[in-house]
Amino acid sequence: MTAHADNQMPEIKGIIENVYKYLHRRKEYINGLNVFPVPDGDTGLNMTLTMQGALANMPEYDGKIISNGEYLRDFAGQMLMNSRGCSGVILALYCHGLSEVIVNGDFSPANIHKALENGYQKAYQGTDNPREGTILTLMYAFKEKFGELMAEEEDFAAIIRKCIPHLKSVLDKTPDMLPVLKQAGVVDSGGAGFLIILEGLEREINFKQSNGGEVRASTILNAIKNIRKQIQSSTSNIKNNHLGGLHINGGLEKINNIKLRDIISDFQHYSGNMLNQSKKKLLKEAWLNDLKEMESTWDPHIQYRYCTEFVVKSDKISSQEEIRQLVEGYGDSVIVLNSSDLYKVHIHTNKPDAVFTDVAKYGELVFTKVDDMKKQHRNFISHDTIEYERESSIFCIVSGLGFKKILEELGADHVFCYGKKKPSVEQLVKAINQLKAKNVIAAADDQDILMSLKYAASLCKSNVQIVESKSVISLISMLMAASNDLNVNNMSFISKLNDIRYCGISRAVRETKAADGTIVKKGDFFTIYDHNIICSGKHIKEVAVQSIEKLAQNENLVTLYKGIPAKKDNSLLPELRSLFPDKEFEEYYGGQYQYHYYITFE
Amino acid sequence: MNKRILIITGDNLGLSREQIDYPDIEILKYPVLVDGNEYRQSAEYDAAWLVEKYVKEGVVAKSSSIIKGELIDVVEANKDRYDLIVHVVMSSVMSAATFAVAENVREMYKKTIPIINIDSRQLVTGVGNVLMGVIDIIKEHDDADDIVRLSQEIVHNTYSYMVVPDLNYLARGGRIGKAKALMGSVLRIIPILGLMGDDEEGIIVPLDRGRTFQQVNQKMIDLMKAKMAEKSATQIQRIILNDFGDNQEAVSDLKERLKSLPCKEMIHGKADLVAVVHCGPKAYFFAITV
Repeated sequence: MTAHADNQMPEIKGIIENVYKYLHRRKEYINGLNVFPVPDGDTGLNMTLTMQGALANMPEYDGKIISNGEYLRDFAGQMLMNSRGCSGVILALYCHGLSEVIVNGDFSPANIHKALENGYQKAYQGTDNPREGTILTLMYAFKEKFGELMAEEEDFAAIIRKCIPHLKSVLDKTPDMLPVLKQAGVVDSGGAGFLIILEGLEREINFKQSNGGEVRASTILNAIKNIRKQIQSSTSNIKNNHLGGLHINGGLEKINNIKLRDIISDFQHYSGNMLNQSKKKLLKEAWLNDLKEMESTWDPHIQYRYCTEFVVKSDKISSQEEIRQLVEGYGDSVIVLNSSDLYKVHIHTNKPDAVFTDVAKYGELVFTKVDDMKKQHRNFISHDTIEYERESSIFCIVSGLGFKKILEELGADHVFCYGKKKPSVEQLVKAINQLKAKNVIAAADDQDILMSLKYAASLCKSNVQIVESKSVISLISMLMAASNDLNVNNMSFISKLNDIRYCGISRAVRETKAADGTIVKKGDFFTIYDHNIICSGKHIKEVAVQSIEKLAQNENLVTLYKGIPAKKDNSLLPELRSLFPDKEFEEYYGGQYQYHYYITFE
Repeated sequence: MNKRILIITGDNLGLSREQIDYPDIEILKYPVLVDGNEYRQSAEYDAAWLVEKYVKEGVVAKSSSIIKGELIDVVEANKDRYDLIVHVVMSSVMSAATFAVAENVREMYKKTIPIINIDSRQLVTGVGNVLMGVIDIIKEHDDADDIVRLSQEIVHNTYSYMVVPDLNYLARGGRIGKAKALMGSVLRIIPILGLMGDDEEGIIVPLDRGRTFQQVNQKMIDLMKAKMAEKSATQIQRIILNDFGDNQEAVSDLKERLKSLPCKEMIHGKADLVAVVHCGPKAYFFAITV
């Protein structure tokens, strides 16, 4: 491999990008195999996001010529910092190990073998409780086979090509090494992802095509239900039936779930045979037991619910072991990575906040991420699984069309406008699911919607963080503080909800009493500030003037957000401008139904 | 300092000649085209003049790269009087043409006099900060390699913060970078833009936004404090602040807030025509070196 003279970027850049695309296209297949350590169906996504994050953060190099080895070193560094989930972290460690050796630009088989050894060692040492039957087994098998084939091949591309069939056979054996895989009838998802990366690499180097069958977890669960029914009803032939989305007309070999394939095969073979009743009964029981075992694997007890990751910048922590000891009491699947004074930690825990609080005592948390694996698991096994397309989204719920537009332009990914009628749980679930985001920050302009939103959050497929906002002005305040390229690294904008002081002017539909005992007559205008009626009157102008006099302190900017009841009123703004010449006024259409005006003070 | 060193720079650096404590300096004037006519910075045609033209006449203005012939004239006139020329150039990302001219002239004179082109990776007050930092270096060192190495540290540690109420001016000049995302909002928002010396891309980035100048001023102070913490800096070496005289309340507020920061030297510099071309009325900006 050499650096290209035309664009000064190394050849390996294109290869890595294409391998990433190859992996990305197959991520759902990998997700569908994910039962270990937790069946949350995101192995493919995590591996993909790890590569995607690394590619997105690669430096521009400003026309500087860099070698393939240097590019790989930088890419591996970015992988470490952008790694997601167990498999992503292990892959990043492996790549880091490879790059430490290959940075010298030597792509000879001997040097690559050395790099594979180093990559495996880094991945193995960095993994908490390393197990056979996982991605580590594939990494080990790869370097062993590569070393063996070096004796007969000089070209590393040819060696990789020859390694792949062997690694496929190793992957097929992973269920024998890890009982949970056997129980679920799958091969290891991380290992499968690793093999796909190698296939992509081999394809890039040798321009070959490869194929892969994909069956979703939900399809498998559906098939289990259908097969159970047919076994129980003693149907003799299921060959031409559709098993809840699993089509077997093309032959059983297309079903990539080994256990399911065996059960269907046995069932088809024996059910038509002339066996005695007791033998048939025993076989039935065995098949039903197998099916039950499979089902339980896909629906496990998740001991630690939150897949938690963080990066802490610290000069108080002296080693990876020290930070491991600090957090390991909180859960399992601990992986620690280190680069100068930055430590990246992955852990499955039930107390992510406590972990963050503890770690923050030792340095600055520069990145945090929490995934609810129970929720991801529910999505994973459901019939309408969502393929997440982005990491995070902001979802807002407002009454007015004017506010919808304002919030969208301030960075909300979707604003649900409900008009007069508050949204149903079903509408909210649908809207949140349509975002196809792994994490959703949801906020409504009315506290009455919170209950529905909370229920919707429990039903939808994303991790939903509900922001308990009081009004649409809180949403504006929050979004003003959000960066345009929202990511999970910085959610501090949520704390900015109450940064804008405001009041609302409405009209009384019945007689009521203000906090100070003043009677507000039916039809009068009144101002609500901080849940209290602070003034009222016959005319909207006098109420607005009183409100500004009472509430405007040092703020210079007074903004009117006009609602539907005041849509045709164009007189208030010029009058206020002339009455308060030292203040700056702006007016926007909010389109809210309840309030004639919201008035903000900034 | 044993070597005789001449500094060359452009006039979009946010400082007047009197504010630069170095005798051997040549400041090239960038051409500015206003409705098709060329102007150069002068007592008559200054930042306030162009702001007024923008506000009252709605003129269209643009700037051009430095003129190669003028740079050659400066080098030609001084090549026998100095041992070394250091040219502090505006960001090569923002004006590749200007940097190319500088490099071209360096190549032309490589057998006559050594020229070091320092890519400030900055605009206006940021260029001023890098220039002042380079002068500090030259007062202590005259070895070319030392000057290059230490100047890179200054470039890396210089950060610009800009309040640009109307992003259309920046967009017209093609320098808006990632701040484009802040354009076209229904709500009037005041963007805070940055040009960070440690940013590999070296383009203008949106840092934050606010609805009032007081808000954005406080946000800039917070951003600076965060940057200082990130760099483990306890003191700012220098702040250079610029405005066009048309937003005095906001600028006074900012100055007061800046005084709360630990800083060795704060200079309220002088904005030039090019800054007005790209930032438009009511803009103000400053750069820090930590």
